[in-house]
Amino acid sequence: MAWVFYTLAFLLAAGLSGMAVYALYWSSKHGQLRDFERGAASIFDEQEPVGQMTDQFPARRGKHSSPPSRQPGARND
Amino acid sequence: MASVSSLAASLNPATPADAVARAELREIDASAKWPVIVFLLSGLVWLLVGSGFALVSSIKLHTPEFLGDYEWLTFGRARTAHLNSVVYGWSMNVAFAVAFWLMARLSRAQLRHAGVLIMAACFWNLGVTIGIIGILAGDSTSIEWLEIPPYATPLLFVAYALIGVWAVITFRFRKSEHIYVSQWYLLAALFWFPWLYSIAQIMLIFEPARGTVQALVNWWFAHNVLGLWFTPIGLAAAYYFIPKVLGKPIHSYYLSVLGFWSLAIFYNWAGVHHLIGGPVPAWVLSAGIAASLMMVIPVVVTAINHHLTMVGSFSALRYSPTLRFVVFGAVNYTLVSLTGSAMAIRSFNEITHFTHFTVAHAHQGMYAFFTMVMFGAVYYILPRILLKEWPSAALIRTHFWAAAIGVTLYWLDLSVGGWIQGSEMNNANIAFIDVVQHTIPWLFVRSVAGIVMTIGHLAFAVNIGWMLCARQPAGATAPTLFRPPPAMPVGSVP
Repeated sequence: MAWVFYTLAFLLAAGLSGMAVYALYWSSKHGQLRDFERGAASIFDEQEPVGQMTDQFPARRGKHSSPPSRQPGARND
Repeated sequence: MASVSSLAASLNPATPADAVARAELREIDASAKWPVIVFLLSGLVWLLVGSGFALVSSIKLHTPEFLGDYEWLTFGRARTAHLNSVVYGWSMNVAFAVAFWLMARLSRAQLRHAGVLIMAACFWNLGVTIGIIGILAGDSTSIEWLEIPPYATPLLFVAYALIGVWAVITFRFRKSEHIYVSQWYLLAALFWFPWLYSIAQIMLIFEPARGTVQALVNWWFAHNVLGLWFTPIGLAAAYYFIPKVLGKPIHSYYLSVLGFWSLAIFYNWAGVHHLIGGPVPAWVLSAGIAASLMMVIPVVVTAINHHLTMVGSFSALRYSPTLRFVVFGAVNYTLVSLTGSAMAIRSFNEITHFTHFTVAHAHQGMYAFFTMVMFGAVYYILPRILLKEWPSAALIRTHFWAAAIGVTLYWLDLSVGGWIQGSEMNNANIAFIDVVQHTIPWLFVRSVAGIVMTIGHLAFAVNIGWMLCARQPAGATAPTLFRPPPAMPVGSVP
């Protein structure tokens, strides 16, 4: 019975290795490994622009009993 | 996939483009809301339970009569319950919560059929609960990191299958063109974990391998679950939150990709360094040692990248809770990984093996790195899915300082104590009982450090409970209610 399990384990390992190799090939073919500046900036957009900090401690209690003011059209998440 | 509302908005020529994008992000956050909350709250409960077991087992090490009348709280059970509560309870749940939010955000895709994920969370936590009760009842398998009894593991498999498939589906329906490095880490981890867990179950529980192969498989699993599951998720979060909070792209995207692929290639081999000195073929150990030293590449690459991203922006640590936790975690990732590589060197290992040094190392990895990064991620995510601000800045500060001071004290204390312990054990002129007694002051300080960390966990739990109970301000429609940021010194922006 052990050989069934070990064959399965070997196939799983081989399959996963194959998938890793394919992932590297795919990423190369689809331009994921080119234009690194664009890649680094991909988590930003015009709503979440570069240069805007997006996290800070909350206001002290009592200072924001009303919803905090927001600049029109501004997002900071 | 754009929802009906955003589609309608996009067709309306009067709707500004920014409102469309905002609605999409809001919908993505809203789609992840309940799965994230369920996983996070489950994790929080396990964090508190695990902290309780940690204190019990830590106190027992220097005061063995503590709770000595309770069979189910003997050291062997309480310590094992602690490990499984914090690993499979807290760490896995919070990893799922953060991974799903990140995957949805980075893929710009909504989480579909969130009910399936909530069901998966129920299965997972039921499995962990049965497992912990089984451990306390004396049913532990006694295989490190796999102590959960076999009757509980099928629930974990079912839950993970649902979780893994749903994450891949979210990725499959991505709208983003580029795959950010965090997605690479998340996707890889989502495939690596079931592989590790299923192979370990097969070769250690279902059809146990014979002899030293058991030990090899055990440490291959236990070390890789850190390096190929928790580490990629921690790094995925760090690579997202550091640049995102600063509003500054990562210093070198090239280095981040290099770091990912070198981790993928080298880490899998490293686990066997835990068996240095054991009856294992020398070539296996040598391969493990070589891989452990090669791990310096991804670690240094990641450290340089994070550091150079932060250069010029360190003052931002004063303003952002997320950044504080994540940067603390990232620094500890570098330290723990380099220490790990050193521990794989035979001459170093001769001293640290079988000592509290290893315990310090494990806590630095799982807590000072992974857990701190996850805390930071939660501080960022929760306001965005609940549309509420954190109710207390003081509790956040208490949490940070208690956790940071507590784990640093823990790490320094057990590293020094463990090194002395190892040096004394190698000295044939010192009786073993003397070595044991010399560790007691260090173990006492360990308990104090544990209490400090637990204070931080309580502050975290109170803040989350308070936030959940607080009323949502009227008109809360934006993804976050944070005040518009003041002119903050975020450093030079490329």
